[in-house]
Amino acid sequence: MNITETSNGGVAVVALEGRLDMLSAPEFRNNRSIIDPEKTVVLDLEKLDFLDTSGLGAIVGASRQKQNLACGIVLSCMNDKVRRVFEITKVQTLFHIFDDTAAAIDFATNRQSAST
Amino acid sequence: MKTILVFREEKFAWAHEAFPFVHPLLLPLCNKPYIEYPLDLAILAGSTAVRIVCDGRLDAVESYCEDGSRWGIDLSYAHMHPEDSDEILLGKNRRFCGDERIMIVRGFCFFVYNKRFDYKSEAASLPECKWAACPAGGSITLYGAPVTPRKDGKDAPMSIVPLDGMANYYRASMEALETGADNYVLPGYGVEPGCAIGRNVVMSKSVQIRKPVNIGNNVQLLGDTIIGPSAIIGSNVIIDRQSVVESSIVLDNTYIGEHLEVNGRVASGNMLNDPVSGASIVMEDPHLLSGIRESEILSTLPRKLTHALIALLFIVVLSFPFLLFAMLLRIGGLWKSSRIECHSEKPGKTISLDNIELDVKKPLGAIAAALSMDRYPMLFRVLTGQLSLIGSTARVAEAKHPNTPSSSLAYRPAVFSYAEAEEWPTTGGDAAIVERYHLAHSNAAADVGLVFKAFINNFHKKSSA
Repeated sequence: MNITETSNGGVAVVALEGRLDMLSAPEFRNNRSIIDPEKTVVLDLEKLDFLDTSGLGAIVGASRQKQNLACGIVLSCMNDKVRRVFEITKVQTLFHIFDDTAAAIDFATNRQSAST
Repeated sequence: MKTILVFREEKFAWAHEAFPFVHPLLLPLCNKPYIEYPLDLAILAGSTAVRIVCDGRLDAVESYCEDGSRWGIDLSYAHMHPEDSDEILLGKNRRFCGDERIMIVRGFCFFVYNKRFDYKSEAASLPECKWAACPAGGSITLYGAPVTPRKDGKDAPMSIVPLDGMANYYRASMEALETGADNYVLPGYGVEPGCAIGRNVVMSKSVQIRKPVNIGNNVQLLGDTIIGPSAIIGSNVIIDRQSVVESSIVLDNTYIGEHLEVNGRVASGNMLNDPVSGASIVMEDPHLLSGIRESEILSTLPRKLTHALIALLFIVVLSFPFLLFAMLLRIGGLWKSSRIECHSEKPGKTISLDNIELDVKKPLGAIAAALSMDRYPMLFRVLTGQLSLIGSTARVAEAKHPNTPSSSLAYRPAVFSYAEAEEWPTTGGDAAIVERYHLAHSNAAADVGLVFKAFINNFHKKSSA
């Protein structure tokens, strides 16, 4: 899995590419922005081809680490396969999900400034 | 023009309870799934793409509607939070919206419209506004600048009836039936107005049909039955001889016995509802009155057999270590055994399980725990079918909360849990997530791998501790 990280103001945009599974979940968990509890992260899932429960657990675990549970991690550009995994496990209720990364960044920035 | 259809689970919770065999968005309304009405409205208003947004599950709707090609539109699906405002909703769907005009249709409501009017030019010409609304929460709102000027001054009729209970569901169905194919696009064929009949309908010569009626597919109307006026008969229905169905809705997969008079009722499977008072009666004959479902035994048999075989393997392989450790640990006082009552897979029932506590601080106890010796007696329950080899962590039935977990589909007590296999926390919401995923998606072959994975993970966890 490739993890690309960019910064947009105070928001980190972490783009995942490939498979987020048992093998790649530790790499995701140890990402600098994911570990930082104060950092708001937009997770771009557009190029994520596969997600299993280990990967899902890593995303849920990452959101639990954040100070702001509601928008510490905002998801964007989820494809249908990934969306179904979120739906079956009812995990979608834990996240704000956007179909556009720019909109997700705007949302995260607004929430971040509102909370500070 | 694009349309976003917004549904909140809270608004159709009543339909889940009243009609548990069908997703509320697919609930037949005059023999047409509910979701098709707002889709028709979106198409009449000139939408080329529609997105269905909900805060609950949409898999059943998705498998029915697919990508919308049957209506000639692009159909997509997304999730929302129940409290999301229109502004947030537009943000969450920004890529879908693009620069086009957007119509947001909110609420589990019946939209009263007339297909003969020109909604397309009206939707394109109105300024940003609430096109229609009802106090119970349903609304149609337009966003974005008008595309074309108004052609004529004729307002197309538009009102909203909230589907907030059985009474309004009945009223909306009757409205669709009585205005019929004049206002709505309805299924069925008919040479005269007020009478639509589906495919493969068998009726005896002595059947009387009194308009308006709408009859679905695969229906049998036996001798001397009287159907109508104002009767909606769903698909896969049998009305037995000399029965009368008047001002009533008979939903799919329902059998109406002989010599019965159904007047002003909603019959669904083995449930008969009175739309006025909201009272309902559950019939006692589920064989005849329920929908046809896959046999539970047949669907779970391969999985249970596999679990039993693997459990037998564990029993044989671990028998010698178990006898040895059980004897040594009992002598050393490191083996404490008690009985606990846990929820069974079957709703409302409990099973009594051996709860073995090992003193893991001592090396012998730690080795026994690493080899899952405390689970050994539970393996015999897999052979009898009371437990699965891998599934959910058995939940203790408390005296205060004796009922089983609300969704028995997502609970199957087992020797090892999926959460252990995936190294997730084994209790609470996190465990529920991974268990629900595997209970829905795993199969016999995958279970075998996960059992060994759970066993090895348990070994590593206990031995490192």
